[in-house]
Amino acid sequence: MAITGVRTPPQVHRFPQSKYIDAVRWLPPLSPLSKLAVLAIYDTDADSPSLETHSISLPASLTPHSQWTPPTRISSLSTSHQSLVAASTLSGSLHVLSSAMQVLLSVDENSGFHVGPISGVDLTGSDCVSVGEDGRVNLVSVIGGGEFKRVYDGNGLVGFNCVKWASPTEFVTGGFGYGLQWWDLRRAGSGGPVLQFKGNFGSQGKASGMIHSVDIHPSRKHTCLAGGSSGTVFAWDLRWQQQSIVLSGVGTGEAVTHSLSESEVWEVQYDCHTKSSNISSSRVLPAMFCSEDGILAVVEQGEEPFELLAEPCAINSFDIDPQNPSDVICSLEWESIAIVSRP
Amino acid sequence: MSGENQGGAIVPYSEEAKKPVVYPLRHGLKPPISRLGISWSRGNSLRVTVFQQPSEDSENEVGGKAVEVRLDGRDGEISDAQWRRIAYGSVSPFALLQSRKNSFASLSKISSTTSPFDAEWWEYVLEYSKDISSLLGNQTSTTQSLIEDPKEVLKDPEPSNLKAAWELMESFYADKLSQAWLPERLVDWLADYDSLFSSTQETVHSKLVDFQKDLVSLQVIEDEPKYWEVMSSALAVGWLDIVVKLLRLHGSYQLDQLGNRETENGLVEAVAVLISKMPRMRPELEAGKLGECFKAKPDFMKAWEKWRAQIAKLECSTFWIQCAHRQTQEGLRNMLQIMLGNTNNLCTLTCHWMELYIAHFLYIRPFTVGLESMYGLAQKCIQLKPMAASHRLMGLLIGILGENIEVVLAECSKGFGPWMVTHAIEVLTAGSHQADTLLHEERDNLGGISMEELHRLVYAQVLSSHPLTWQIAPIYLTSCIKQGMGLLEMLLYKQPVDHNQLLLKNLEICRLYELDSVSSNIMKIAGMYNWKHGKKGSGVYWLQQARDEARLNRIAQQMFDSVGRSISDESFRQWEGLIQLLGSEPKTAGGLEFLHNYRDFKKSLLQIRDGKTTDAARQAVESLISLMKNPCTPQRFWLPLLHDSLKLLNWEERPLLNVLQTNLLLNKLQELSIARLRPDFIEADLPPHALSSVRLALATNLGRTTLEEQ
Repeated sequence: MAITGVRTPPQVHRFPQSKYIDAVRWLPPLSPLSKLAVLAIYDTDADSPSLETHSISLPASLTPHSQWTPPTRISSLSTSHQSLVAASTLSGSLHVLSSAMQVLLSVDENSGFHVGPISGVDLTGSDCVSVGEDGRVNLVSVIGGGEFKRVYDGNGLVGFNCVKWASPTEFVTGGFGYGLQWWDLRRAGSGGPVLQFKGNFGSQGKASGMIHSVDIHPSRKHTCLAGGSSGTVFAWDLRWQQQSIVLSGVGTGEAVTHSLSESEVWEVQYDCHTKSSNISSSRVLPAMFCSEDGILAVVEQGEEPFELLAEPCAINSFDIDPQNPSDVICSLEWESIAIVSRP
Repeated sequence: MSGENQGGAIVPYSEEAKKPVVYPLRHGLKPPISRLGISWSRGNSLRVTVFQQPSEDSENEVGGKAVEVRLDGRDGEISDAQWRRIAYGSVSPFALLQSRKNSFASLSKISSTTSPFDAEWWEYVLEYSKDISSLLGNQTSTTQSLIEDPKEVLKDPEPSNLKAAWELMESFYADKLSQAWLPERLVDWLADYDSLFSSTQETVHSKLVDFQKDLVSLQVIEDEPKYWEVMSSALAVGWLDIVVKLLRLHGSYQLDQLGNRETENGLVEAVAVLISKMPRMRPELEAGKLGECFKAKPDFMKAWEKWRAQIAKLECSTFWIQCAHRQTQEGLRNMLQIMLGNTNNLCTLTCHWMELYIAHFLYIRPFTVGLESMYGLAQKCIQLKPMAASHRLMGLLIGILGENIEVVLAECSKGFGPWMVTHAIEVLTAGSHQADTLLHEERDNLGGISMEELHRLVYAQVLSSHPLTWQIAPIYLTSCIKQGMGLLEMLLYKQPVDHNQLLLKNLEICRLYELDSVSSNIMKIAGMYNWKHGKKGSGVYWLQQARDEARLNRIAQQMFDSVGRSISDESFRQWEGLIQLLGSEPKTAGGLEFLHNYRDFKKSLLQIRDGKTTDAARQAVESLISLMKNPCTPQRFWLPLLHDSLKLLNWEERPLLNVLQTNLLLNKLQELSIARLRPDFIEADLPPHALSSVRLALATNLGRTTLEEQ
């Protein structure tokens, strides 16, 4: 792997957990000296899930802080600037908690909320949007007291894997067939997404793929970043709806020659730590992704990608610290947490 | 030592193994219990299903219960989570060694001079062994505090049996350089792991631990007989640094006493110096350890003779008479006796055969080389000082010294489990040609596989049985030439398909090992699972990925029905997403391609119903024709389609279909009439006169359009 320029390798701290980590997210710190992260944990031997906050003081310690036991295993996790945590479960319930793991709100799976697991949640301010493979899109207001509003019901004919707010009234979802959907609550009457995109990155042997994660930069809401099957990371610019800008991936033809990963990209996020050399608004901002084949890397349009981590096992999720973007926390398949501190 | 004469059994087994273990079941059901079902659950658990006698008045009572019983076969030393950590950590070293082995093998095919037992290969194996060893716990010497407590003679590391066993394997098989100084390696080994034997019997280590507790409260240390005894024992097993440290705690070193105990102090110091100058046949010593190292045997022998002469001289010295303190005098002379190799002293001061064995190496037979003589000496020591209880490490050591590969394997397996055997085999086969042939020979009684493969398969089964470790089983399975791939396929098929993440991880393994047919079968299973569970979209997605035309076509027929029923605009919106997913490629859409056309057709019909114009009608006709032309559109839907189009066929303003189109439809209708005679034909749910009215409409249309075209 060629690395352009001289980059100081990041420091990596590993914390074996002896339990499976389903998801990780940073939380605003409680004190200036330590960091706070929330982990969705699953104890396979005891078959018991838990949601735990841990305070982290680098270089060496990870101390459990507070804890809550969800009804079933956590499927997706989202945190807001107001220190709120939204967690969805495999049984289809949604819970909003404070950073002290006090439950503020729960939507029961029996209330007709979702059928089966919720695959993605996103929490911004007081609004939480949830999507599932059942094709339902629901809105929950944190101040609404457990009521939810159905935005769409796909009746299982379509399914969604992930969701991300673009503005208080707009959000984007991703799902099968490299599909992205843009939703606008102001035009909810139409009963479906306002815009749709279907990626066509099929390589030989593979017909299509899935989107596992989407992200939107607060200052450029017209560009959706998406990551999915076959190491694919691409951007969809609403101003040029029919095409996409591929940042990484296999079998995409002549456009991309470098690809760090060939397997599932589990999560993507815009990386505000990597300073782009070119800040034209038509260029996609630098993005970070993690993958099933153990890669955590930064990709940028027209630049060589570079690896932060290359693990022998999958990196299932990661989060860039919004307070201090040089720090990245990730959960590894082999029951451990890694924190990457970039210089 | 038990098991020497157990009816010719290779592996000695203890009496404990025969005792039955009772696991209480907490099912909470009222008797009578009618039936019990017992099956294996995941990992080391049994699933016991308890059925109650069905009774008439028990409607809301449960009929039975299933409970899991965990069989605790493992020693409590290493928890499940730690085992998993070891399993994860050993993947990379194992995989690296296998790939190096493969490249070595391909090299030696080209040039027959390269054998896998080259010096370079040894280094790889040693590197592997060190990587594995580092997983099993820290090196004992790494825990050094900054401020040293003068009264702390023992560090408190927590060694594990597993690590001790691995180090034995490494010393004897992997580390070629240590072959010349194996006795000294054993001295180090016992120093690190003597505490492991403390649980079943007294050891020099446990004596030291006990004494260290008393040390703080002792005023005049040299009056205490235990002080001298513990020091002598430690000296016997060669823990020189501890002995010297303890000696320097002797009261005569204290400044206020130095004046009137000068001779006594001189003697203590002389012994301490002699101890720290002991010649050792080894390349180097760890920091803090005492002795003088010699690499070459002649130098060592010379130094040894000189050292022994110095001890003998001190022993005969006249200063002893001037030493007023009786305990000091006796204690020191006892220690000199140890260094002179007094068998009786050594025998009484050591606690078990291994300690005595070490003492023999140090003071009686320092020039021992070769496994044969080491084995003979071990047998002698076992007779002199048997252990209180048999210990798995001792069994392993005896096997190694006896150069019996089968015993070593059996001991590894019995004492330390499948992980140990699988990984130790790599070291064993590197160590000797005999082991190499023994382990790689294909055996009929094992179904044609080798012992190496057998043990790997067993370990892979253990990994496969746990939801967190099954993903690393393929690494081991693919290294098994005969049965590995078959078992790998079974493992992959066995994984649940209900969660996308797990499913994708499974498919990723298929991709890595190029198991395309397995992968497509798994996708088919996932497709059907999702379809049946109402997730039609993901069902279609997976079947498309698997390129399963047959199932997609059948699904298409089902969908045709449900789409056919819902003509209202609202429900059509729902199909949009699915149609979007299908994309425009007819290849991947399979029989579902008609959905596109059918959607357009229905849309147009809807517009006509709403009073829209001829344009919509023309579009509807186009869709109808392409639907009817398409070979994917199933025959049984022809009539419903045509029946829906009656209005188009009887369009008032002018005929919408030309002669060619009308003829096509008439032909289809004819085909249909013939097909209806077949017994397997399924009649569409339509009014009885549907066929005739369609035929009439087509005939009328043909007439009109012929007229128009003329």
